[in-house]
Amino acid sequence: MSTQPITDDVADRSSMVAIHRALVDLAPTFALSFAVLAAWELAIWLFKVPNFVLPAPSAIVTALIENRTQLAAATKATAVEILLGFLLAALVGICVALLIVRFERFGRALYPLVVLFQNIPKVALAPIFILWFGYDLTPKVTLIVVIAFFPVAIDMLTGLQSVEPSFVALMQSVGASRGEILLRVRIPHSLPHLMAGLKVAITFSVIGAIVGEFAGANAGLGYVIQFASTQLDTALVFAALVVVSVLGLLFYYVVEFLERAMISWAPKFDSMHRN
Amino acid sequence: MNAMLPAIDTTQSTKPPIEAAKEAHISARNIAVDYRVNGRRQRVLQGIDLAIPKASFVSFIGPSGCGKSTLLKVLAGLVAPNEGEVMVAGLSPREAARRRMIGLVFQDATLLPWKSALENAAFLLQTADKSVTRKQAAERAGHMLRMVGLADAEEKRPSQLSGGMRQRVAIARALALDPEVLLMDEPFGALDAITREETSRSLLDIWQRTGKTVVLVTHSIDEAVFLSREVHVMGTRPGRIIETLPIAVSEPRTQESFAEPAFTAAQAHLRGLLIQGHRAKGAG
Repeated sequence: MSTQPITDDVADRSSMVAIHRALVDLAPTFALSFAVLAAWELAIWLFKVPNFVLPAPSAIVTALIENRTQLAAATKATAVEILLGFLLAALVGICVALLIVRFERFGRALYPLVVLFQNIPKVALAPIFILWFGYDLTPKVTLIVVIAFFPVAIDMLTGLQSVEPSFVALMQSVGASRGEILLRVRIPHSLPHLMAGLKVAITFSVIGAIVGEFAGANAGLGYVIQFASTQLDTALVFAALVVVSVLGLLFYYVVEFLERAMISWAPKFDSMHRN
Repeated sequence: MNAMLPAIDTTQSTKPPIEAAKEAHISARNIAVDYRVNGRRQRVLQGIDLAIPKASFVSFIGPSGCGKSTLLKVLAGLVAPNEGEVMVAGLSPREAARRRMIGLVFQDATLLPWKSALENAAFLLQTADKSVTRKQAAERAGHMLRMVGLADAEEKRPSQLSGGMRQRVAIARALALDPEVLLMDEPFGALDAITREETSRSLLDIWQRTGKTVVLVTHSIDEAVFLSREVHVMGTRPGRIIETLPIAVSEPRTQESFAEPAFTAAQAHLRGLLIQGHRAKGAG
């Protein structure tokens, strides 16, 4: 117990070092981004490109500031869609994976159907959902669930099934039931895989929300993009794009933060999955 | 039987007489196991007879594919034999396992990465017996960790432990069940030579102190001779016992045991048998 503060201190210092290193690593990226933006600004000014074709970065910033109330409201609408859709997609994905593993026979029937369903271009379903559910939240959330549950289900399934057979044998040898093995071994073991699936799902959720809004909406960033483009307000289109990107990034890092907080015991998994 | 093999003094053979077989802690009569490989039935074990007395230490040695791991699974109740009968402490292996009489250790430690060494050692006991409280299980697991020499590693996660330490946690986990029989499938297979010797010496120590019946499956002739009182040599196609060799190395076994004539004789004899089996396999 007395060693606790010391380890904390070491962890603290090492995380400071990590942040510093990350900043140093990112410095070239910042420099490059700045250079590209400067070149972009210069090119627009030199070649006198009309604003409705391609706005200069400064024009986009201006559009961001001028339309901030409209953008804020749109961001809120889209964020709610993403959040609800993502949570439901995660729930559906987890349930599908658990069903397939827990009820083997049913799983054998369900799995090919899930894969088949994945091959439907789901973006094409957006008009149908509009037809069924109207212009509100429901069609967007449905579209997100349909797009984003698959990576969750597949990754969770991989995690549930990749428990070492000898561990299952060990559990069986002391009379553990299927359900007990699932609950106490398979599910915890699948968590790193689940988190990897959730990271994919959150990016899919952002896409789903924007596509859903394109198909028919009266609020949200996708709606702003579509509306602004009909008005040839390209600067606002780009401004909304910037906001969507930042929103997506934020959501992604929230999931990644949760991953680190929840499964600190699996440090190697992350890098393995990225390679 | 084989002129080319070094002679073995068989006068003090411990081959149990018929009466002793009845009291055997683990007994098997004419076991046969078939596996289905690509839709075809394949016999992996044939005519296995065993009578392993209580508190003894026996090893099974043989080439890969001789079914020694399958035999261990049969004894653990994880595989049901297609023919024959197995008894562990007078019960069917499944029943014996359910009553916590069987402790299993595999080649890979198979620890749960999200649990500490202590929690891992307690885990199986809690699963096996719901009447054991968390505290009782932890106490017992802690005791077993101390027994395998891991008193300081209780709070460590498996990723923070060396291969040898992980394997000792697995042994502690099996011992926490307080089983009558310890079944081990190449428990030291993944360890380096020195760790291997160290861990097997501590296993020998545990065996002497607890008086469990230990069944060890191994690839290593030295390990089999050093640890066991009796070595069953297995052959392939189908897997069967081709010879049972009592080991007459003096007790207690120490570093000096390796130099004993009885040790080297048994070692040479087993090597001869295995090489012969290997050649026969190559010819067939």
